This record gives sequence, C-alpha cells and structure tokens, in this order.
Amino acid sequence: MKLLQKSLNNIWNFVILFAFVIVGLLLIYPLYNIFLSSFIHNETDSLTLKNYIDILGRSYYRKAIYNSIFVGFSSMAGALLIGVPLAFFTSRFNIKGKSVISTLAILALVSPPFIGAYAWITMLGSNGWLRHGFESLGIPMPTIYGPLGIIIVFSLKLYPFVYLLTSSALSNINSSLEDAAESLGYRPFSKFIHVTLPLILPAISTGALLAFVLSLADFGTPSIIGRNFRVLSTLAYNLFTSEMGGNPGLASTVSIILILVSLFFVYTQRIIIRNKDFGSDMLNPPEIKKLSRLTTIPVHFLCYFIVFLSSLPSLVVIYNSFRKTSGPVFRPGFGLDSYRRVINDVPEAIFNSFVFSISAVILIVLFGTLIGYVVTRKPSILTGTLDSLLMIPYIVPGVVLGLGFIVSFNSNPIVLTGTAIIIILVIFIRRLPYSVRSSASILKQINIGLEEAAISLGAGPAKTFLKVTLPLMLPGVFAGAMMAFITAINELSSSIILYVGGTVTMPVRIYLSVLDGEFGTAASLSTILLAATGVAVYTIIRITDSDEGAFL
Amino acid sequence: MSKVQLNNLKKNYSEVEALKQFTLEIQSGELFTLLGPSGCGKTTLLRTIAGFNKQDSGTIMVDGVEIDNFPAYRRDIGMVFQDYAIFPHMSVEDNIAFGLRNRGVSRHGIKNRVSDALETVQLSGLEKRMPKELSGGQQQRVGLARALVIQPKILLMDEPLSNLDAKLRIELREDIRQIQKDLGTTTIYVTHDQEEALVISDRLCIMRSGQMVQVGTPWEIYKKPADHFVASFVGNMIFLPWPLAGMKDQNSEKIREIESLSGLNINASDHDKFQIGIRPEEVVISNQTSVLDGNVISLSGIVENISFSGREAQLHIKLIDGNMLMANISRPDETFLEEVGKTVYLELPQKAIMFFNKDNGLRC
Repeated sequence: MKLLQKSLNNIWNFVILFAFVIVGLLLIYPLYNIFLSSFIHNETDSLTLKNYIDILGRSYYRKAIYNSIFVGFSSMAGALLIGVPLAFFTSRFNIKGKSVISTLAILALVSPPFIGAYAWITMLGSNGWLRHGFESLGIPMPTIYGPLGIIIVFSLKLYPFVYLLTSSALSNINSSLEDAAESLGYRPFSKFIHVTLPLILPAISTGALLAFVLSLADFGTPSIIGRNFRVLSTLAYNLFTSEMGGNPGLASTVSIILILVSLFFVYTQRIIIRNKDFGSDMLNPPEIKKLSRLTTIPVHFLCYFIVFLSSLPSLVVIYNSFRKTSGPVFRPGFGLDSYRRVINDVPEAIFNSFVFSISAVILIVLFGTLIGYVVTRKPSILTGTLDSLLMIPYIVPGVVLGLGFIVSFNSNPIVLTGTAIIIILVIFIRRLPYSVRSSASILKQINIGLEEAAISLGAGPAKTFLKVTLPLMLPGVFAGAMMAFITAINELSSSIILYVGGTVTMPVRIYLSVLDGEFGTAASLSTILLAATGVAVYTIIRITDSDEGAFL
Repeated sequence: MSKVQLNNLKKNYSEVEALKQFTLEIQSGELFTLLGPSGCGKTTLLRTIAGFNKQDSGTIMVDGVEIDNFPAYRRDIGMVFQDYAIFPHMSVEDNIAFGLRNRGVSRHGIKNRVSDALETVQLSGLEKRMPKELSGGQQQRVGLARALVIQPKILLMDEPLSNLDAKLRIELREDIRQIQKDLGTTTIYVTHDQEEALVISDRLCIMRSGQMVQVGTPWEIYKKPADHFVASFVGNMIFLPWPLAGMKDQNSEKIREIESLSGLNINASDHDKFQIGIRPEEVVISNQTSVLDGNVISLSGIVENISFSGREAQLHIKLIDGNMLMANISRPDETFLEEVGKTVYLELPQKAIMFFNKDNGLRC
C-alpha cells in the first residue's frame, strides 16, 4: 500500500514536471521569442529599440493602438448596455421562456465572431438585403464597414459574458440586503444604485473585461468587416504576412503592445474589484417579481429582441447556405449548390477541422484534468506557479501566439511549421487553461470529505481516485471537453497564421471565401461549423443540467 | 410609540392560505411576539406589515392611519433580519448611517446619531470596521442600531437571534429587551423559539397555519394555554388519557373529586372524550406511597430512562397502562442515576392538571 502511495505521488510529480515542460515549450518559449524579436532590427539583426520607436512614433501605427482601444471600449460598452439589462430582467422578473433566452445567448457566445461579421455584411453591406429594405423605405443606413460594424458584431457576440455573469450575481444576492435598504427608506432605483449595483460590480466588471480583452484579441471580425480600419491584431498579421516582405520585428512589437494593453486592463479591473468580492450566504434568494400588465410586453419584447438580434447572423448564414448559387453569386430559389461545392472543392477543410479539433480536445482533456488535479489537490509553490503561468493564454491573442509558434518552430531544433501538429498544439495550449480551470472548479465542488470517507472505509488512494473522485468529475470533464471542442473547431486567429494549403480548416476557409466574395461557400461551411457547435452546446446543456457557468 | 392594528388580514400564496382573516391590536410601546412553528405564517405577517408583501384583503393601521398602499420605503419601519442583512460593502458606520442619508439629516446630525446608536448597542469604537471583520453577534447589533437610528414608528424583528449560538442568543436577547424598554419603540418580534418568546415579550401571539391561536402575556400562555397545540408548543407537556389507568384509588368518587376541583362536570360515559396534560416540572416523585389526598393523584411506574442535562434530570417513567410520563427533578443527586428499572411513586397535583377536549383540543 505504501509503495502504491509512493508511486502515485511519483505520478503526480511526473505530471507537474511534464506540465512545466509543456508550458515552457509551448507558451514561454514562443512568447520569449516574440519578445526578443521585438527588439531586433529587421535589416541588421542587431538589438534595437527602433521597432518600438516606429510603432509609437508613426501615426500610421499609433492609430491602430487608438483604434483597438476605441473598439475595445465601445464593444465593452455595447456588451454592458445589452447584457446588464437583460440579466436584470431575466433574473428578477417572471420572463417567460428564460431557458430559451439563455440558450440563444449561449449560442451567440459560442458561435465564431467572424460568422457574425460575414452575416452582417450580407445584411447591411453595400449589397445587403436589409440595407435595400431600409433604403426602399427611405431610411438611410450608415456603412457597416469600419468601426461601426466591428462594434456591432462584438457587442452582439460578447454581451453574453456580461449577461451570464451578471445574472448569476443578481440571483446570488441575499434578498434581505435589498429589503433592508427598502425598509430604511430607499426607493427601488436608489436601492439598486446603493446596494444591488455595488454587490454585482465584480461580476459586471469581469464580464466587461472579458468583452474588452476578447474584442482586442479577435482577428477575424476587424479583418472581414473593418476594411481599412486597422487595429492591433490585423496590423500584426499584416506586418508579418505582408507581400512586400514581412517585418517580423514590427509584428512582434505590435504583439507585445497588444499583450501590454490587455494586461493593463486586466490589472486595472483587479484593482477596481479588490476587496469587493463579498460572496453570499444566500439565505434568501431574491424574489422573482411579477411584471405589471403595462410593462410585461415591452420588457419581453426587449429581452427577445436582444437574443433574436444576436442569433440573427447565424440564422442568416444558415438561410444563405441553402440559397441557389451560380459561381459566387446568389440566385433566387433554394438548393444545395453551396454544400455540393464545399464537398467537391474543399473537403479537406472539413476533414482537417474535425481531426485537428478532436486531437486537440483529447490532449486538452487529458492534461487539463491531470493538471487541474495537481493544482487543487497538491498545492505547493510549484503547482501555484503552474497555475499562474496558465493564466497567460487568457491575455495572449491567437494571432500573437500564432506568430510566436512560427518564429519558434520554423528552424532547428524543432521544425513544425506547415504541419498539422503545429495547429493542434497551438489550439491545445490556448485552451488548456480553460480545461485546467474547469476541472479545478469541479474538484473544488467535490467535497473532500467524500474522498476521506472512502479512505476511512479502507479504500487506498488509487482506488479512491478511480472509484470516487474520477466518477464524480466525469460529467464536468466531459462538458469541459465539449467546450474545448467548440473553441477548437472555431479557432481562426492562430490558424490563419499557421495554416498551409494542406492544413486549411473551416474557419480559415470561411475567412478566405468571404474575402474572395464566395458567400455561398462561406455560408455552407459556417452552417456546418454552427451545426457542430450546436450539437456540442446541446450536449453540455444536457450533461450539466443547463448550468450556464459551463460556458464561461 | 405607535399602535398597530391589523384588521382581517388575508394572504394566499398560490392555493395555500398563509394568513387567514388575521385581526390583532398591538399596543403602543409593547414588545409583541409572533410565535409559531415554521410555516405558520408569522414571517409572512411580519413582511406584510413591513410592506414587502401585499395582503390580499384587510387593512393595516399605524396610529389610526391606513398604510396599505404605502410601499415599504414609505412605511417608516425599522427591520432587523435573521441573516443580519448588513451591507457587506459598507463599514459599520456607513451601514448605520444608510437610513439617515436619504432622510436629509445633516452630516453632523448623522455623526452624532450613529455614535449614539453604536453606544446603545455597545459597539462604540467599531465605526470603521467592515462587516466581515465582525462576529455574527456584532453584526446583528449593527443591524439593530441601523434599524433604531432612524427612530422608526415600529421595529420589526424577524428571528434576529436564530443564527447565533446559544450563549450569545441569551446575551443579545436580554440586551434587545432592555434597549426596547428604554426606547419604548413598538416592536413586533418573530421567533420559533418558545423560551425566547416567553423571556422577551410583553405579550405574544401563538400562530398556527395562518391563524391566531392565542394571544396573551407569557404567564397566560404558559399557565393557561388555550388548547392542546399551545400547551405542547410552549414548554413541555405530557398528555395522558383520562381517567388514568394507574390511579391507585381508581374509583369514581376520586375521579369526580378531581374533575370538580378542576371545575368540570363530566358524565361517566364521556370520560374518553377528555385527556389531561401536565408539565414535567409539576410531577412530584417520591419513594413511597403518599397519603391519600383529594388534591393529588397518586400513581406508580417504572423508571425506564434518565436524561441528565446538568441543571436538572428528567425521568422517563412507564405507567401501568404503558403510557410514558416525564418528571423533572431539579438539583438531582447522584442516587437518581440508580433509579433506572426501579418502581417510583408519583404525585400529580390537581392544580397542575389541565383538561383538554379531545375533539377540538381546547382546554376545559
């Protein structure tokens, strides 16, 4: 028994060691290379600050920084404006069909933003049907290309973070606190301002931060709908892949700035919510109030309008995919032309997407669960460090990590560029932290007393893990795997840099099709992506009993 | 100092009648307790008075003014919550000042009143503390100060002590009683703890499934319970069939004597419609048969079990007919522990015996 215990400990030590190797090789090393390369002169290969001077000095580049921050803030504001009221109404009032609303919000959350960008172009682009509709009514429409389009797409894609976090915070407030304020003479509105709002501020600001960081990091949306509106992620990509000869030094510098901007806001939010997490003992869950006859219709309309608007891109894409096409142009009537074309022309994109995602998911789940276990159940300086290091992918945009991989695995000792492995590995390392965190939170929910009970009944540590801990973890782990699959199959920003002809994936193909104006192909591929995503969402909802937290 | 009148209050929660035609008058300055098992409607009633629920029908008047259409924030009530409901994002000082801030009290006035309130609840010096740095008892003192500082017409307390541990509960309930007496604020207090209710109240109302069962002073409730429910809910009471099978001298004359001393006149055939109740502390234990006395019922039984709680011991005695009788012995000496299995003689004083009608549970 002692021996087994010892060998088990050795296994956990081995896991820790291996985790450090993974993090070192796939995260630290590429980022270090990016960092280094940002100080290297493009022509002379010498150490220099020229790249930083160029980026910060030239208004052409500086504009991208402003644009990124502007888009980030505006999208955050949009997400807050949509997400907070939706959360407030659905968690405090008897809105009918709440599960429909939250499911639609979740679908908006998990569907890739570039599909949104593409769909809005088909609606409000220069040839869009919605534009024609409005203009035939005499209502002029502003152009969807540029910052407005980006902000619309991001707001409608990212509000679910705010909505889900805020509504869970709102339902977790002890209602006695609000009652106390009311008994002390506070009207409903001032009660909300003085009591409710401060208590949900941590949740709201976390949602806002997520919206900001993710809109900063996204590549597909600004690239598709932004036209000439440069942001940091598209600038980094363009500098690197420019046909006039890429400039890895400048691209790296832009990447570092992108990371620094994200970091700055992560820490600002941390400071804002410091000492403000008040928890809740939840003796009295808040009362669900009945809406008066006068207010019930507008409130229902608002809630459903929001989720309808955010699922509109998906609906449009699915609709488009069944339209008749001839070449890149849509024709009247319905047909399966687009699907036929996809299967004939780009079957490898579909095949690659599934193979890469499933491979990545297997790795993610395996290592995520093991690392999650050591981080929660074997706390030490080492596992604590590991936990902190695994925060890095949250703030490193896919484009940046993609660049890091190219720079790092392009030459000896490890050459991976152009392979499927590099795409699988970048997805793996980007999503590993989510899996670690979810299995850690599953473990925290499993009462350690259960493990102790098993041990007290004579089960050894190995048997305890296999017979008690693991079975209890499985549903959560499986839900986590589905979530990883969703993000893996929709990954664009890193694979756009790493793909070669043979390793093209569906998101990359969709992106290229949209740029080429092949809207039919884009629509049918997007529909396949949405279907795969939808199945995974459905599975998660079934497994977790519609615990919305599984999607965050 | 305000008088509260409840007239025919009625409240339904989807099919369930939470309050049934509730009528009650609470005198100015008194501490009035609503006591009952969980689900009896006491909290519903309190929250209806506070304005958090709206009654389906009936009226609430405070000092003769109907407040039915006033929202909670205009009712001028102070409320103390079971879970303290201290705002976790505010210091002690800000918590207490919270109600004054929107009442247009001057900065200086707020400062003075907050410090007075803190002194009242014996928390002076803790102004700057955050709630999570306070114990449960201290948090509830803040809750009390916060409710009192606005000088409400009525103070409502919803099981304020039930989250505290036993010692603290006793300490704080005495402080609450003292503060309430000093300030004279009309207070409605909800609890399910009968001992707490007896100790703290001027008067109390026993509630059961949305209805008032009895209103009275603690003495009246304990000594003259209206029915079987009140008798068993407040304090302990042992119920036994009448006439007692174990009565030594089980003759009709003795039975009638006890009945008539209790002011009853029961036909021999109707005896089984009655039962008697006695509190364990009234049962007298002796080692020998007592003298025959009209004012006492003598019985014997076998001690089955003894539970010792320090302050007293309780003997569980099996009577001849198999019924169990409990008897409390204060200041038990060690020899009592040897009584298990032995026969003891019991005396039930006539004055301590209560008769209950089996049909409707009412005390006769």
